[in-house]
Amino acid sequence: MRARLPVAIVALACVGAAFVLLPVVALFVRAPWSRLGEALSGVGASTALRLSIEVSLAATTISVLIGVPLAWVLARGEFPGRNLLRAAVVLPILLPPVVGGVGLLVALGRSGLVGRWLYDVLGIQLTFTTAGAVLATTFVSMPLVVLATEAGLRGLDRRYERAAAAMGGSPWYVFRRVTLPMVGPQLAAGAILTWARALGEFGATITFAGNLAGRTQTMPLAVYEARQVDPGGAIVLSLILVVISIAVLVALGGRLTGLR
Amino acid sequence: MVLEAEIEVRRGDMTVVATFAAGDRETLAILGPNGAGKTTIVETIAGLVPTADARILLDDEPIHDLPPERRPIGIAFQDGVLFPHLSVLENVAFPVRARGARPRAARIHALELLDRLAPGIDPGEKPGSLSGGERQRVALARALAGTPRVLILDEALSAVDVSARADLRALLRRTLSDFDGPRLLVTHDPIEAMTLADRLVILEDGRVSQTGTPQDIREAPRTRYAADLVGMNLFAGRLTPLEAGAGELQTADGVVTVPWPEGIRVGPVDDVLATLKPADVALHTARPEGSARNVVQGVVEEVAVVGDRARVRLASSPRLVAEITSGSAARMAIGAGAMVWASFKAVEIHLMVERGPTDTL
Repeated sequence: MRARLPVAIVALACVGAAFVLLPVVALFVRAPWSRLGEALSGVGASTALRLSIEVSLAATTISVLIGVPLAWVLARGEFPGRNLLRAAVVLPILLPPVVGGVGLLVALGRSGLVGRWLYDVLGIQLTFTTAGAVLATTFVSMPLVVLATEAGLRGLDRRYERAAAAMGGSPWYVFRRVTLPMVGPQLAAGAILTWARALGEFGATITFAGNLAGRTQTMPLAVYEARQVDPGGAIVLSLILVVISIAVLVALGGRLTGLR
Repeated sequence: MVLEAEIEVRRGDMTVVATFAAGDRETLAILGPNGAGKTTIVETIAGLVPTADARILLDDEPIHDLPPERRPIGIAFQDGVLFPHLSVLENVAFPVRARGARPRAARIHALELLDRLAPGIDPGEKPGSLSGGERQRVALARALAGTPRVLILDEALSAVDVSARADLRALLRRTLSDFDGPRLLVTHDPIEAMTLADRLVILEDGRVSQTGTPQDIREAPRTRYAADLVGMNLFAGRLTPLEAGAGELQTADGVVTVPWPEGIRVGPVDDVLATLKPADVALHTARPEGSARNVVQGVVEEVAVVGDRARVRLASSPRLVAEITSGSAARMAIGAGAMVWASFKAVEIHLMVERGPTDTL
């Protein structure tokens, strides 16, 4: 039997759904369909899209490579200040991204705390480079994979790892063949969220890496710029991101939303 | 190969202190109620308790300083603990591969073990779809896969339903006696311990309360727990049908009338085990009248008073232990050397059929 829902709740839910759907529908309605090709080439869509994909994938890879060990230390380590460290790791989710960008600037910018040394000694400059865009994106999106993986590790029955050790598995072997595969689903979900967040990153990137076409101008930055010179182009670029997002949702078949 | 262990571990608010040794090709049962510290002992021997103060020697060679992965011990864990993301075959190959064998060699070795211990299980299957008995078989194969020098079975029968238990018990018996080295059988089930082990260590509240052969403990249990659980009368032998609903169990030292086991149509059946609680044995000074099917006469060998109860050991056929109140023991003047009658009802006897009937038609 289907549950009978109070009218007021249904009405509010309809408002909520309309609120979420309206902007997406509006993008489709107002897109300059007749001059689609022209609008696409005019705003450098392909360059921005390729850069966006490269930057978001690089940021996701780095996030997994350093985020998973971080999650492991947070879940398994017993050391003073662990809760403090966890709070620090979560901070970028709560911070306005532009603040993250400013922080990165004073840390790794050419005259920054560490950046000065990087530039003077190693000749490395991160600001206004694609590497800088990757760095800013990683900073903002990594916490998602750390949190998801840590939750997975905490939920993992320790008996499996203990059994694996008792059966001759070195700590690294146990991690590789038991721990990692067993938290695989959570890690994957975290990595996808990280990637989605990376694809949409705007504030930290534009603050730290600037808005240089072909180098640091990812899709969201391109949308922002196009809006000032070519509103139709901005809509087209936005639509591309909408289509990618819908494609990911469909490909995951509800895994992201927790409904499988 | 001899395993010697001296263990002292604090776990939560309990301290587990135990000293024991298992000889070459000896099955030592560690028997105790849940929460007595049995799993702590297993984990300490395996090296999984970093805080343990333990001295563990294998042929006088200390292994307590080795990390767990370098201890030559094979464990079939309680509930199996099979890796859910690996196939049955990969699970069994795990200890081989973890020790550096090539995947192909590990596979072949694992397939051999599975063929012997778990025939009929698809090696490509994931453990999630296995029954409790099948999981234990795979766990047993995995415990042996790393060619360990010590074999530990932790509650190998507890997660297995009754119908699969007899087969698995027979398999455990064979596997234990085939294993060339010390074997530890950790269990809370006295029948499992009594029927599979050469010697028992009884663990209560983190302390060893008694060590000895099943016979020693059955005849002279030192604690209430040992008396209640281990101090049972145990009959083993060949079961033949007697009349509708009843059978005769021919043991090495006497015949017992027992209820006919459900689900078995025709006898005789070999290797049948039967237990009888001492409290269900009644003692009489004269031949008893009444409905009890089993009536035997014998000389009292020993009377042990534990609290308000007296355990009376009878040299009857078969040999029996009876438990009566110390008051009635005094009233009947039961003491060593006295001739008494013992009676017990067939329905009080609990039967365990180890294998299927020899004739299934």
